[in-house]
Amino acid sequence: MINYQKGSIAAVTSEEYANSSVDYKLSSAQAYARGYKVSIRNLNSWFGVKQALKNINFDVKENTITSMIGPSGCGKTTLIRCLNRMNEMTPGAAVKGSVYLDDVDIYANGIDPVTIKRRIGMVFQKPNPFPTMSIYDNVAAGLKLNGIRDKKLINEIVEESLRGAALWDEVKGELGKPGSSISGGQQQRLCIARALAMQPEVLLMDEPTSALDPIASAKIEELLNDLKKDLTIIIVTHNMQQAARVSDYTAFMYLGEMVEYGPTKQIFENPQKELTERYISGKFG
Amino acid sequence: MTRLLDLGISRISNIIMDMATLSVRSVDRAIEAYEKESGSKDQIFEWSEQLRVLQDEVTELAVELIARYQPVATDLRFIKSCMEISYGFSRFGRYAYDIMDILGTMGPLSHCDKNPVLDMANTAREMIHLSIKALQTQDKDAAKKLYEMDDTVDALYRKYLREIITPTNKKEMKNMITDPRCYLSTLLILRYLERISDHACYIGDSVHYIVTGASSPRR
Amino acid sequence: MGDISSIQEKRRSVIQDAIVRQNKKRRLMDRVFTGVTIACIALAMIPLGSILIEVVKNGASAISVEFLTRPQGSIVSGGGGIGPAIQGTLLVVGYASLIGVPVGVLAGIYLSEYAGNNRFAYIVRFFNNVMTGMPSIVIGIVGYILIVLAVGSFNITAGALALSIIMIPIVVGVTEETLKLVPHSIREAGHSLGIPKWRVTLFITLRSAKNGVLTGIVLALSRISGETAPLIMTILGTSLFFQFTFEGFTDPVDALPLRIFRLAALPYEHAESFGWGAALVLILIVLSLSMALRFLVLDRRYKASGGARL
Repeated sequence: MINYQKGSIAAVTSEEYANSSVDYKLSSAQAYARGYKVSIRNLNSWFGVKQALKNINFDVKENTITSMIGPSGCGKTTLIRCLNRMNEMTPGAAVKGSVYLDDVDIYANGIDPVTIKRRIGMVFQKPNPFPTMSIYDNVAAGLKLNGIRDKKLINEIVEESLRGAALWDEVKGELGKPGSSISGGQQQRLCIARALAMQPEVLLMDEPTSALDPIASAKIEELLNDLKKDLTIIIVTHNMQQAARVSDYTAFMYLGEMVEYGPTKQIFENPQKELTERYISGKFG
Repeated sequence: MTRLLDLGISRISNIIMDMATLSVRSVDRAIEAYEKESGSKDQIFEWSEQLRVLQDEVTELAVELIARYQPVATDLRFIKSCMEISYGFSRFGRYAYDIMDILGTMGPLSHCDKNPVLDMANTAREMIHLSIKALQTQDKDAAKKLYEMDDTVDALYRKYLREIITPTNKKEMKNMITDPRCYLSTLLILRYLERISDHACYIGDSVHYIVTGASSPRR
Repeated sequence: MGDISSIQEKRRSVIQDAIVRQNKKRRLMDRVFTGVTIACIALAMIPLGSILIEVVKNGASAISVEFLTRPQGSIVSGGGGIGPAIQGTLLVVGYASLIGVPVGVLAGIYLSEYAGNNRFAYIVRFFNNVMTGMPSIVIGIVGYILIVLAVGSFNITAGALALSIIMIPIVVGVTEETLKLVPHSIREAGHSLGIPKWRVTLFITLRSAKNGVLTGIVLALSRISGETAPLIMTILGTSLFFQFTFEGFTDPVDALPLRIFRLAALPYEHAESFGWGAALVLILIVLSLSMALRFLVLDRRYKASGGARL
């Protein structure tokens, strides 16, 4: 077998290319031991009687970017909303299965969904800064409302998070301005900073650039690449080129099932499934 | 509905097929010229030049398609391979031209033993046809067959080379050595034919890559 | 090909002709429609304008420091002022909102954020709507029976309670509706930061809906400031100031609408002028509440920048 990753810029080892389809027979503990940050096992989800996710299994490696692609309604958004237990807040939604964060099943009995959300941050489709809060307060909100009073610590974290989200230089003089007064791209980076302030281990992003212009989107994409040093990122995107650009791994979903999952270069250059090929080549969907 | 990319892809395949026809014709004509001591050098020059221009066109078009449509999967592999395949065809033209050049330099060769060249030319032409057919039918297994044929071509070439450098008493060989034009022309043309068969293999490789996504294990 | 392009040409000319034919008619209709809307606005403004003009014309002359601060003088000869009525209105309305605002806002939060579409919420919403349309005299009777009879005298608590009953359904309705206008993604953003739900609701959702909720509260305050019927049944009216003593809470209290009502019934000229003056004061109080809200409390910066637009 030729060493595929030779020409790839993604952070994927040759061993993983050799084993391109993730070995679902790994137990969650084995996956954790091999450096997988998030392991999804037999995950199913329903909205009322409609099944939105059908027996999803995959592992996400630490400090990588994984993207979910697929036509509208394929379940990709539902899937990432299951990863921080946000999905169950939707009326009528039900979830069955396991999601391991490190070696802990976040759906196990006795796990508080609120605590889980502190470890797994989320950025949404449309920039949604808290409308009545200043830029500073937007970033500090998660800390303050979780009962942190230490002003100095908050100041530090706010600056660090804004720097982390590549927004600091643009807003440092006007932290008191309303969060909703900056441009859409800046608002989305503000939302990323807000999530970063909680020092998450995993960052979930639900079509984070779909409401932004190409320049602002490109900035977010560059930012993601910087962020993956400290974070594991899972991003839903309906822009296949974006998935191809930013991610190390790509998962293709269709009708609630994960059709194919593998290194991004492989998915886009040599998909193993006919359905994947047809979707990414624009032959349907 | 036709994908915009498909318009470009069909254009690029048309050019490739034109190149295939042109390169086959060039090689055939060059071999014929050697065999029958006839034929026009200028015609092959022109074809070879045309092949080179077409190769540039394929590269331009491929780059444009990549820039405009960001092709993926089979589309991407096809376009990438078209660049390599068109290079192969332009090489066929170039070697045909080189053969004509040798013939021009050496002058009449009717007294030489032409069998080694004609033998190998048959195999090389068969390989060209096989590679073009593989391209048309997307036959991923053709590469294997091509490499087997390439092995025989290489063996032939080495065998002939050894024969020439080994002192001999055989009469006909002696004859040949007395006229260096015979063995020099034979050796040079064999060399070009050997290169042609290599490129036929590469085309087979490209077809294999288009179909399976994996590079051929031989390269 | 020729066929297709000639068909296209034909269609184009048909459409073009139709547009030209419609043009004249369209312009006329545009003008008529604009005219009708302007006429309707004028029609709506006439009563409002004439009331304001009439009240200011007749009431402005009565206003003086004495009028605003003194209790009513002799009924026959006049003199004094409407001090107790102003004080009473401010106290009763303030007292009522102490009860009505928290209950109304919290109930609105429950309906919008916690109840979903369950049966209980459906019933609460239904009764809330009924309550909004309840004749205020009936509410006055409830206050009379529940408190006045129990305490044994007309008192401020009964008045405040009656007014708060009028206020609550308005505040509940406005709070629920404005909270529902807050985009769901704002709540989700809060939850995604691991903030407990009650904090998300109070400090993020409610805060985002602040402008709307405050507007609703001021609307309810304006409404109860003008209520007369329930006050007759509960605080009765008096010409004395409210005393901040234990006994004060068991005595009748005056209020502007009551004062206007009583003055209007008197046959004396000075009483009539006092009545207009009191009406002007009441209008000014309500007006200043709205103005204060608009210019002091509402954060216009955020509104202008497209936050919660309400």
